Amino acid sequence: MNDAIKTQISAFVDGELPDNESEMLLRRLSQDLELRQQAAEYFAIGRAMKGHRDVKGIATLRERIAAQIGDTEFSETSVRAEPAGSRYTRPLAGAAIAATVALAAIVGLQQVSGVADIADAPEAAIIAESAADATYTVPVQADEQLLQYRLLHNASTGNINARLVTLQLREGGITEPGLENPANDGSSTDDEEAQDQQTQ
Amino acid sequence: MRNRRRILNVTTRVALGSAVLVANIAAAQNDDPHGWLNKMTKAVQTTNYEGTVIRMQGGTTEALKVVHLVVDGIVRERVLIQEGNGLEIIRNGNEVHCILPDKKSVLVEEWNDQSTLFFSMPSSDIRFGSEYDVSIVREERVAGRKTVMVAIRPHDEYRYGHRLWLDSATGFPLQTKLINVDGKAIEQLKFADISLDEGVDALDLQPSYDIENFRWINEPRRAITHSVESEWTSDNLPRGFRPVSAHQEHVPGGDEPVTHILFSDGLANVSVFVEAKTERDVAESSSVGASHSYSIAIGDHLVTAVGEVPAATVKQIASSMQPE
Repeated sequence: MNDAIKTQISAFVDGELPDNESEMLLRRLSQDLELRQQAAEYFAIGRAMKGHRDVKGIATLRERIAAQIGDTEFSETSVRAEPAGSRYTRPLAGAAIAATVALAAIVGLQQVSGVADIADAPEAAIIAESAADATYTVPVQADEQLLQYRLLHNASTGNINARLVTLQLREGGITEPGLENPANDGSSTDDEEAQDQQTQ
Repeated sequence: MRNRRRILNVTTRVALGSAVLVANIAAAQNDDPHGWLNKMTKAVQTTNYEGTVIRMQGGTTEALKVVHLVVDGIVRERVLIQEGNGLEIIRNGNEVHCILPDKKSVLVEEWNDQSTLFFSMPSSDIRFGSEYDVSIVREERVAGRKTVMVAIRPHDEYRYGHRLWLDSATGFPLQTKLINVDGKAIEQLKFADISLDEGVDALDLQPSYDIENFRWINEPRRAITHSVESEWTSDNLPRGFRPVSAHQEHVPGGDEPVTHILFSDGLANVSVFVEAKTERDVAESSSVGASHSYSIAIGDHLVTAVGEVPAATVKQIASSMQPE
C-alpha cells in the first residue's frame, strides 16, 4: 500500500476526504480484498501507535466458543486467561442452544474486553478518559443476561444488523469495542453539525 | 385558419400552464423534507437493488454485497459480508438463513420481514416537530448518483441525530449516518455502487456457497412472549418517549420470566427489562457501538434499560422506573 493510499484512508477516516475521492476510495476498497486487508493492518498499526491495544480476550473467546459447540478446530489459542464471563457459561445440550451461546459469547467479548482492560491501570486510564460520561462506571464483568436483553431488544426493533456483527468471527480479532475510544470508534472527527450548519 | 391558430395558441398556453403547475408542485415536493421521507419510506419498501455497501459501525469498516428484491410484497435478500469469515445472510420473508462457511453451518432464524440494511428508518409519521427537526441540507453525489441530504436533528441530548442522502430520482437512501450528541458520526452505511430495479436478477439471491452438506441449525424462538399490562411505570421519561408494548418473556438460561417494556419516541427505541433481584453481579452500564445499557436495583427488582440511544437516556429511563 503506497503512501498516497494511506493518506487517503487517513483523510477518509477523519472525514476530511472530498466526496468524489471518498467514492473512488470506497469503490477501490470494495473491489480489492488485498487492499482492504492492508488498510485493516494500517488501522491496527495506527491504533498501536496511539497506545490503544487490540481487543483482548479473542483467544479466550475462541476457546469458549469451541467448548460450547464442540469444535476443536476452532480452538487454536495459545493464550489462556480466565474469562470474566465464564461463571455464566453453563453446560448446554443441543446444537441450537450451543450456537446461541456461541453467538452470545461473541457479543460477550465486548464486555470481556472492558474487564480485561480495567485490570491494567494505564489502559483503564484511557477508558476513563474516553468515557462519554465521566460519571459512568465501566462494566465490571460480562453478563450473559445483558447479552440476552440486547438480543431481545434487537429482535423487538428488527435490528438484525447487530446480529450480523455477533456472527462474525474474524481471524484478526473482533474489533467491536465495548468501550469506545474516541480515536478508534469509527467516528468522523469532523463536527457534522458544524459542517451542516455552515452549508445551510 | 385564424380559428385553428387560436386553438393552437390556447393549446400551447394550456400545455405551458400545466408544465409550470407540475414544475411548481415538484419544486414544492422537493423542498419538503417530510415529502422526501415519505418518498424514502416507499422506496425502501418497494425498490429492488443490488450493490456494494460500506458499513462503518462500532470501530469497524466492512464491505457488504447486497441483493434485495421484493416479490409479491415479500422481501427476498442476500447479504454477503466481504470480510472475516464470509458470513452470508439469505432472507426470504421473515425466515433468515445465516450461512457460516468456516463452520459449514447454516443458522435458521425468524426475524421481522424487513430489510437488513434499513430495518428502522425515520418516516414522516414521526412527530418531528416535538423531538426532532427535519430539514434539507444540500445536494451531493453518492455512488455516482445525485442525492438530497436530509438532516434529522434531535432537540435534546437524549437521542441521536440522522443524516440521510436520498437518491434524487427515487428517494432511495444511498447513505445514512447516525450522529451522536457531539455531532460525530457513530454509524454509517454508504453504497459504493448500486443498481436500482432494472438489472437486479433473482438468480443473484442464490447462496454463494455449496451448502448441501452444511449442518443446519434451527434456532428456537428466543423467548415466549405474553402481552401484559405492565405494573411498572415512569413519571420521568425523557421527553417524547412513551410505552409501546409490554411483554412477559422467558430469557434463555433464566428461571423466571422478565417484564419487557418497549419505549419509543417514534424513532429511537429503548427496552426496559425488569427481573427479580438475584445474587448475580451486574455491570451498571455498558455500550456496544451506538447501543447503551444501564442497570439499577429498585426495591427487590433489577431494572435494565437497553437501546440505541445516548448513555444518559438509558440511565434516566432505568432510574425512573417504579412499580405502580
